[in-house]
Order: sequence, then C-alpha cells, then structure tokens
Amino acid sequence: MAGTLVNRQHVRRRRLSPITAMRGAAVIVILALWQAISASGLLYNGVIPSLLAILRALVQVVFGSELYRNMAVTGFEVLGALLIGGIAGIAAGLALGASRFLSRAYEPYVHYLAPTPKIVFLPVLMAALGVGPASKLALGAISAFFPMALSIAAGVRQVDPVLLRVARSFRLSRFQIVRMIYLPALVRPISVGLRLAFGLAMVGCLLSEIALSNRGLGYLAAQDYAHFQIAHMYAVLIVVFVLAAAGNAAIVWALRRPGEA
Amino acid sequence: MSAELRDSAPTTNSQTSGSSAPLLAIDRVCKWFHTPEGVVRAVDHVSFQVHQGEFVSIIGPSGCGKSTLFNILGGLSGKSEGSVTIGGQESTGPHPEVGMVFQEESTFPWRNVIENVAFPLEAAGVPKAERLARAAELVDLVGLHGFERRHPAELSGGMRQRVCIARTLASRPKILLMDEPFGALDEQTRLLLGDKVLQIQQALQQTTLLITHSITEAVQLSDRILVMTYRPGRVKRIIEVNLPRPRSSEILASATFGQYVAEIWADLREEATRGMKDSER
Amino acid sequence: MATRREQFLARLIPMATGFATLILLLALWQGAAMAGYVNTFIAPAPWDIAQSFPDLFADEDVLGALAQSFAETFGAAAIAGAIGIPIGWWLHSRRLAGLAFENWVANLAAAPLVLLYPLFLVVFGRNAATIVAMAVVTALPPIVLKTKEGLDGVRRTLINVGRSLRLSHRQIFLRIMLPAAAPVIGNGLRLGLILSLISVVGIEFLIHFGGMGDLIATLGDRFEVAKMFAAICFVLLTSVAFFFIGEQVDKWLARS
Repeated sequence: MAGTLVNRQHVRRRRLSPITAMRGAAVIVILALWQAISASGLLYNGVIPSLLAILRALVQVVFGSELYRNMAVTGFEVLGALLIGGIAGIAAGLALGASRFLSRAYEPYVHYLAPTPKIVFLPVLMAALGVGPASKLALGAISAFFPMALSIAAGVRQVDPVLLRVARSFRLSRFQIVRMIYLPALVRPISVGLRLAFGLAMVGCLLSEIALSNRGLGYLAAQDYAHFQIAHMYAVLIVVFVLAAAGNAAIVWALRRPGEA
Repeated sequence: MSAELRDSAPTTNSQTSGSSAPLLAIDRVCKWFHTPEGVVRAVDHVSFQVHQGEFVSIIGPSGCGKSTLFNILGGLSGKSEGSVTIGGQESTGPHPEVGMVFQEESTFPWRNVIENVAFPLEAAGVPKAERLARAAELVDLVGLHGFERRHPAELSGGMRQRVCIARTLASRPKILLMDEPFGALDEQTRLLLGDKVLQIQQALQQTTLLITHSITEAVQLSDRILVMTYRPGRVKRIIEVNLPRPRSSEILASATFGQYVAEIWADLREEATRGMKDSER
Repeated sequence: MATRREQFLARLIPMATGFATLILLLALWQGAAMAGYVNTFIAPAPWDIAQSFPDLFADEDVLGALAQSFAETFGAAAIAGAIGIPIGWWLHSRRLAGLAFENWVANLAAAPLVLLYPLFLVVFGRNAATIVAMAVVTALPPIVLKTKEGLDGVRRTLINVGRSLRLSHRQIFLRIMLPAAAPVIGNGLRLGLILSLISVVGIEFLIHFGGMGDLIATLGDRFEVAKMFAAICFVLLTSVAFFFIGEQVDKWLARS
C-alpha cells in the first residue's frame, strides 16, 4: 500500500483520493460540455458565452468598484434580515418550544405559513417601506423568521426529558438548566435554522432587488440582463453563489463543536 | 485451564427418522478477520452435526462468534476454512433448504402480517390464493390468528418475531436457523414464546438450530446444546438434554432442569469471565 | 391520567385561543383602518379584502390563474421526480459517486438557484417552459438527497431477509428496498413540490407571465390593493392546503 511513501517524508507527494479525483473529473466534464455548447452555437449566441468570456467578465467585475457598492447594499439587507428575522425567530421558537399551550395555539400557523412563497408580500412591503433596501430587508426578515422559529422550537422540544430529570435531581437552578442543558442542545438547531434562514433571506432580498430596485446585486444582475450583457451577468451570479457558499460555511464554522468537522 | 474440546459426532440422537446421515454437517469451519490490530479469529475449527428433527442450541458468551457462525451457516457470509454440508452437498451461499430468523426486527413495515408471511411464496411466484392460504395456516401456527390484517407497527416485539418465524417457515426450510430471536424480549415473554416454539417444532418436526445466550432457553427447547468458548470460538462441550418430550416451560420446575443449567453455567462462567476481562482492557 | 374529555379540551382550548388571537388581530386591523390610523393603500381593511374575493372570481379569473400555477408546479415536480429519483439512486448505488457528490447536491439545495431564472428566460423565452424549467432545477436537490437517504437507510437486516431467501438483486431492490425507502422518497417529493410552488409563484411574479404570481403583481401595479390582498390570501391558502395534503400522504406512507 502506501508503505514506501510513508518513509519518504521529504517527498511531498500526496495520494490523490478517489473522491477528489472523481470531483475533479466531474468539474472538467462540466466545463468541457459548457465550452462545447458555447462554441457550437446551438443556443442563441449570447446565452452560453465561452468560458474565456465569462472569465474576462469575472475579472472585470471583481476588480471594478460597482460590485462592491452593490454587495454592500445586499449585504446590509441580508444581514439586517438575519438579525431581525433571526432574533424574532429565536424568541418565537423558544416560546413555542417551551410551552405546550403556545405551541398548540400558534405553531400550526407558523408551520403552515412556512412553505408559502414570501415574494407575494413584496408589493405590500414596497407600498409601506418604499423601493429602497428597507422593503427588501423586510422581505428577507419574514423569509428568515420561519425556518428559525421552527428549528428552535423543535430543538427545545427535543431535549431529552431524561436529562431534565437528571438536572432536577441535582437541584439545578432554572438558569443553570438553561445554560448547561438547553443552550448546548440548541447550538445545532440554531446552526441549521440559521443556514436555512440565510439561504431564504438571500433569495428573498435578491429576488426583490430584481423585481424593483436601483441598488444591490440583484439589481446588477437584472441590469446586465436588460442590456444583454450575459457574460457579465454570469460573473455577478458566480459572485452571488460564492457569497452564499461562504456565508453558509461561515455559519457552520462559527457554530461548530469539538468533534465536528 | 484449557477448555475441553470435543469433536462433533454425537453418540446418541434423541430423535431420528432412522437415517444416520446428518442434515447439516459443519466440518472444521474457521473464520478470521483482518483488523488494524491484526488477525482476529472469530470461529476456530468448529465441527458438529445436526440430524433430521433435532433441536440444537448453540450457547456462548458475547464475542464467541455465535452470530458469525449463524451468518456462515445461512450463507450470508463466507468462511475462511472448512466446509458446510447440507443434505449431503457442500453449500456456499444461501441455501434453499435453510431458513433464517434474525435477531433484529425484520418484519416489512409496509406489509401486513399475512402479506409478510406470504412474502417468500410471493417472491417464488406462488399464485395468490395458494400463498395466502398457506400463510394463513402459519399465522395460526404461531398463534397470531385474528391479526392477519394488522401491520407490524401495531404489534408487540414478541408478536413481530412470531411473524418473522412464520415467514421463514413459509418457504418450508429443512433447517431453521434462529439467531437470538427473543433477545429483545423480557423473560416472561421469552418463556411463553419458548413454549410456542416447542409446539411448532413438535407439529412440524422441524430441524432447528438456535443461537442463544439464555441458558434456560437452551435447556427448555433443545435436544443438544453446544457450549462455545470465548473468542476464538470453539465447541467447548456438547450436552445431551434428556428431558422428556413433549415439553413445556413447566419443565423449569424439575430438578434435572436445574442440574443442566448448573452444568452449563459452570462451563460458560469461565468463558464469560474471560470475555468480560477482555472488554475491560 | 387525563380522561378523554380532558385530553380533548387540552387540544381544543389552545387551538381556539390561537384562532381567537387571529380574529382579534383582524378586528384590531379593521378598527385601525376605519379610524384612519392605517393607510388603506398599504393595508386595506379586512372587510374590504373579504368583499373583494368574489371579484377575484368574477373579474380576474383567479381559478384560471390557480390552474396555471398548479399545472406548472405539478409538472415541474413530476419532471424533477423523474430526473431526481434515478440520480439519487445512482448516488446510492455507486458508493464513490455518492461520497463525491452528495455534498455538492446539499450545497445546491442551499444555494439561491432561483437567481438563474434570467438564463432560462433567454433560452426558452417568456413562457411556461422557463417557469417549469426553473422550478425543476430548484426542486431537484431535495429529491435527489432524500432518494439517496431513503435507499441508504434501508436496514441491513431487511436486505438480509431477501438474501437469505436467495432473491435476485432486482427482486431485492423492487420488493424490499423501494418499499422500505418509499416514505423518505415521498418526503423528498413533497419538499420538491413545495419548492416548486415557491419558484413558480416567484417567477410568475417577476416576469408577469400568468398564474397567481402574475395576478398579484398586476393587481399591485394597478393599486387594487384589496383585491391584491385577497389574491395573496388565496395563494397562502392554496399553499397551506398543498402542504397539509402532502403531510397526510406522508403519514399514510409512513404507516404502511
């Protein structure tokens, strides 16, 4: 097996794991297919620009200033949405999880409204808050609220009753029980809820920007589409996806526990 | 103190239809595994025979390779050495004449009781009316009459295991292999189900090989008991159980029963202690 | 031990409280609107909203819009199922592929895929194909993931029952693995359906092409706020119904 390699510590050779190899192969195949379709002219010319064109546009976008201005706006909207929607969601989730009465009274509404398309509220929000970032933030906050509330409520309920009985047998104070049993148990649901909330807030804010705005990454993409700058639009979308992945990873990392990746 | 090693051939058969050829013969079967710590011998030169109509139990401490043996006999896992002969022919892989009842819950939750029991017949292409009729007989035999249309989720653990037994019997196996089927149940349920198994065995004259860790269960049900050593698993002792048949759980009261149990425990205790010390290391 | 009556009340009272709260909020809203505290261009009085419901049917062909959204949603979910379940099966059966790509699919599930809709717009034009295609893309990841999860999660013992009966690979797959995985796969399809609905309504809203999304956007543009709110309620109720029926199907699948 790798016996001989182990001895040669000075040789910086790593065995290529089959998983990495497979992923690498997939990336190559996808890029090759893309380039082939682009060059073939199969689809209407601008729709699938060549990889080179996209790369150039990406460089343009990343090194220009326009991106960062708009990223700041969208970032503000998303973070604001997470803050407001997230905190409201945690509060609601704690209340619903802790009280069976509240859960039975109000959780069905949260549960059944969660999968509805929140974009339908945009006209109302825009009438109320104008066409600036505020209405987008509000939509994002509404989108973020639901997964957070449901995740936290479930998390509170899932604390093993046995652990609570152990805590009571040790006569821990209410505060200690919250700190030592509930809080650690809630890290996972908060992480899961936050990631969902982040994704939904992002979609909400960006779609609202596309719908009607004069600032933000969604607006940028919509402008590119309107002026048929397709390669540029791809570049913006790539940036958006990278940001989404980065945000996700950041949340996972921030809330990681020892023993998890 | 070295364990007594006995070779297989039993001197007497408690029940035999007259033929002397064993239905199931295993000869010097070994199984070893390669682990990061080295080679682990789970089963070491195990040999024994089971004759038509016999009820044989294999009992041993945890870690003696009983379940490994079960999987080898059932053909679900390979052996490193030795041979398994069924009905005179060497067998590798699952054998049509061998039926397996697993330790874990194995009813199909999406089928009701009668559909579960009819499953092997359905897979073999038996027409609907016939297979449902046969399944109904078996459902009766295991004492679940009236529960045919229930789903496993509505049944207790003991009832579900009975469904599994009925399902395995549906394929009319010559040899029934059972791996601690009642392990998850409480003592009293086990005793009652043991009675049920005795009734079934009596009615069908079913050749059965039972893996168990319960001494009372082994003595209650068996004609012969193989006591295994701790890893590497070998046959330490073969005990003939000369309690009269037909039997029931009332046999627990007899003095002879107690003697058998004591004898087996004396052997097992040593092995179980070694096992416990090993896991503490 | 609670009697049946106590148990019934223990469920009924909270539900009634929740409902009463809703009525109370509506009443407050109505009062505020009538007293002039609330700008009725932003939030029309509930009574006015209720009264516009019939107009939805009469003037706006809301049923037609609903039918269109439904058709697109179900169509997209069906296509996503037809594509996604085999992919999920492939990730399950080829261990290396599963290890390599499951993460990617999970990341796709979290990514704002809806943003790709301009591309579909350019390819398919401003018509139903764009909407359906976009919805398929958003619905795929959960279907793929849940299919893999369901097949992976079939208990080894159940498969061993099949092996001990000497069933062929195909028989084991069709008679044991698929039925065992069905509840989880069904869950994935339900999630796909929900995401499909969200995408469909969202894109209809953005590109003004038929269906409930377009209806809401149009009513908004026309400042017919009461009707718009009524349409929004309609969408909410529909989506709730969708979700509810999906849950019942889930329960039915899980019980069997």
